[in-house]
Amino acid sequence: MAVPNSESLKSNGTYLGRRIARSDGVAKVTGRADYALEHDLAGTVHAVIVESTVPSGRIGNIDLAAARTMPGVLRILTHADALPLKSCPMVPAGSVMESFLPLQDDRIRYNGQPIALVVADSFDHATEAAGRVRIDYKTELAVADIDDPTATLIDVPGAPSSGLARGDAKGALAAAAVRMDVVYTTPREYSCPMEPLGAIAAWGNDGGLTVWMPSQWAEGARRAFSDWFAIPMNKVRVVSPFVGGGFGVKVTAHADSLLAAMAAREMRRPVKLALSRPQNFTGNGLRPAIRQKLTLGASEDGKLQVLIHENTSETSVDDDYVEGGAATARVMYAVPNLSSTQKLVRVSSFTPSWKRAPGEAIGAYALESAMDELAYKLKLDPIELRLRNYASQDPESAKPWSSRRLREAYEAGARAFGWERRSPEPRSMRDGRELIGWGMAGGAFPNVHTPGEARVTIAADGSIEVASSGADIGGGTYTILAQTAADALGVPFEQVRVRLGDTSLPRAPVAGVSQIANLLTGAVDKTARAAREELLTLASSHAGSPFKAKRVNDFTIKDGKIAPTDGSAEAVMISELMRMVGRDRIEVTRNTMPAEKASSEAEQRDAYDSFKYMGPPSSTHATYAWCAQFVEVRVDEDYGTVRVRRMVGAFDCGRLYNPKLAESQWKGGMIMGMGEALLEAIHIDRRYARITNNNLADYVVPVNADVPDIEVISVGEPDFHASALGGKTVGEIGVVGAAAAIANAVFHATGKRVRDLPITMEKLM
Amino acid sequence: MVKSPITGGGVRLRINGSEHLLQIEPRVTLLDALREYVHLNGTKKGCDQGQCGACTVHVDGRRVLACLTLASQVEGLAITTIEGLAVNGSLHPVQEAFIRHDAFQCGYCTSGQIMSAVGCIDEGRTESDTTVREYMSGNLCRCGAYPHIVAAVRDAAQAMDSGEGRSR
Repeated sequence: MAVPNSESLKSNGTYLGRRIARSDGVAKVTGRADYALEHDLAGTVHAVIVESTVPSGRIGNIDLAAARTMPGVLRILTHADALPLKSCPMVPAGSVMESFLPLQDDRIRYNGQPIALVVADSFDHATEAAGRVRIDYKTELAVADIDDPTATLIDVPGAPSSGLARGDAKGALAAAAVRMDVVYTTPREYSCPMEPLGAIAAWGNDGGLTVWMPSQWAEGARRAFSDWFAIPMNKVRVVSPFVGGGFGVKVTAHADSLLAAMAAREMRRPVKLALSRPQNFTGNGLRPAIRQKLTLGASEDGKLQVLIHENTSETSVDDDYVEGGAATARVMYAVPNLSSTQKLVRVSSFTPSWKRAPGEAIGAYALESAMDELAYKLKLDPIELRLRNYASQDPESAKPWSSRRLREAYEAGARAFGWERRSPEPRSMRDGRELIGWGMAGGAFPNVHTPGEARVTIAADGSIEVASSGADIGGGTYTILAQTAADALGVPFEQVRVRLGDTSLPRAPVAGVSQIANLLTGAVDKTARAAREELLTLASSHAGSPFKAKRVNDFTIKDGKIAPTDGSAEAVMISELMRMVGRDRIEVTRNTMPAEKASSEAEQRDAYDSFKYMGPPSSTHATYAWCAQFVEVRVDEDYGTVRVRRMVGAFDCGRLYNPKLAESQWKGGMIMGMGEALLEAIHIDRRYARITNNNLADYVVPVNADVPDIEVISVGEPDFHASALGGKTVGEIGVVGAAAAIANAVFHATGKRVRDLPITMEKLM
Repeated sequence: MVKSPITGGGVRLRINGSEHLLQIEPRVTLLDALREYVHLNGTKKGCDQGQCGACTVHVDGRRVLACLTLASQVEGLAITTIEGLAVNGSLHPVQEAFIRHDAFQCGYCTSGQIMSAVGCIDEGRTESDTTVREYMSGNLCRCGAYPHIVAAVRDAAQAMDSGEGRSR
């Protein structure tokens, strides 16, 4: 089978599609990349949050006497005197953004809730004084977690994955020759970006607010501040040029940046609020604990007849956050009968938010584990079972796939891994005291589209500036946008400078749902082509131009030089032409709004500041990225320790704008999946509904020594239904399927099916 | 507001070859001294409790965690931060290797990874991938750049060994 090499695709340009090193690489390796909390403003004071130490109840007396006398303390804010705030309905409450607003009332919703804010002249002074705030509570009963006996199940009317069905699941199950039902449980997990949350906020004399904060969506944060403080959007600027990891938790603004802005307003000077690492656990970035029940019915020859997915997940006291797990199940296989239901358990927690591949990561863990179990039950190879149920069109919508090279992914991954040498029986492969396990799993991640704006400026010296408020959270936005503009304009890559992460720049939607690369390459390509057209209009029509050619199409631009295509005149540098026609700049701004909406400011605002325009990129085709992952584990038979020995991932993500950077994201996703499978779990002290492992030593994420060789393979081809330049989603698909592949490998090694993540040693002994 | 005591005469730090006299309290960590007082923000605060390695710097040539070191402990010693690694605008071989191998994504752990990698190479812990993985495990990377970090460290170690590179 021929697998295309993504670098040899015909659609690739001089730069796009090539393995180009990160354009922000030098800034990052020299420590010069300016992350938000590193903005030094004169007169900045420091704020530290005081958290509740009980999970539920009311705040009683707050004794500030001791704290106030501490050195350097300037002000202590509590609910008694904090500024009243307005709610922000930009996205439905709970769908990634909490409705909770700090210091607005005396109610305690969770252990770790911000209940006071100490402002002092230094971080140390604020920290010390915060420890001396004394608070009495009137405690009430709390619900610790999903397993709390007092927890009650609630329905989620209108939730995205609530009550969806096709065919007759019940009838098909009764008729199925082979039936299986299994429950998979997963714990609370944390995004844990290396850069903690926090903000520096400053109010200007004109009533304008500027916030430096790490954000996956500066424009969304701007909207939040505008709503919270009831000030116009144009009075808010959010600056976030570099983001030290996000993985979902930095999608929207949270209480930390809001408190910084409240304090800055109160103090009339810049306030810096840096959450401590423990506070990053007790306030934000949580994937809830989830219980997924899967019921499968199949024929003897392994044809799936029915799939029933019953999801129960935790949410907060305030909001209905849904971490739907059925998204992958609905599209992965040709199952005629399917139902998925969603229930929630309200626990004494803050509102969960997205963690990389929300829904898909955890849903694929359950689905692809269940498929492995079914394969054993039917004595079929796990790949063979998947091929027998291969969906040749979207089973949900009956639309054709825009592209689905999943079969190629299975084949390429299996070949690279050496799958044919696998002995199928559990416990049949070993190396001394180590049991060897080989497992595989697949995954899917949807493509979504949201409009975006971009500005392209050609300067007098021929250099190009690309500007957008969109984020580079590590995926490589800076680099691929420079590649895009360089190709569209015909200039050297090094001549393009990209500015991102600042709401004073053209508006962009969230760097989430793996969408930003596809959206902004599309917007920049469109804008750069318009700038090229304007430049060539000058070349073809301006009196100062040296060229005789009269049509834009008669020119080519290559290496920053303009020439008539027929060779009738010498090439001229862009800078020379700019001088000859007397222009010091050409500046073009375009957006990718639907034409009929593009002129409406209200529609534009909805597009960039809410999720209203986020939807499938194609009305005629179902568009997904696909993957197949293969894992070898070694399990110490005596101690039950699991080590991942090697991983292979084959991905169909369409056209890759920069394979070097895409591969990094795939591997990173697979490593995050390894954490989910083997390491990561929040532990809760159920007496106080408090997170006990609120730090990076006790919440265990993969370290270098955990990670083996990882091979990634691209089997994608350009998909122009998925995006303007042919790419599909890259950022999250790596995590989808990784945990299942590991869990399946552990079963193959040990013969023991652990259906509760993470698979730690005591569960195998 | 009560004035707080500072160390008599301040704390004198030698950072990247330059002397800095800081009027800071004895409890100020080297990390906060670098970031909040000297405004050298290349050294990152990931956990402030010695768990992530993002704040790794060199003190007299050894890799240390700046968040677990008081500024006053390292008075008079040679402190090197990420900003001091490139000399006269020319990148250190480890910095170059990190770019070449795409050994970072978001970049927040990168300063610490690179300082730790230079230490790892100086310590001679680069004979195999396994060794590098072990001796680089004090530096967390949530983007999961680990395989590329290992490749970069081994590549840089070789370059430095063969004389193309230079020591710190």
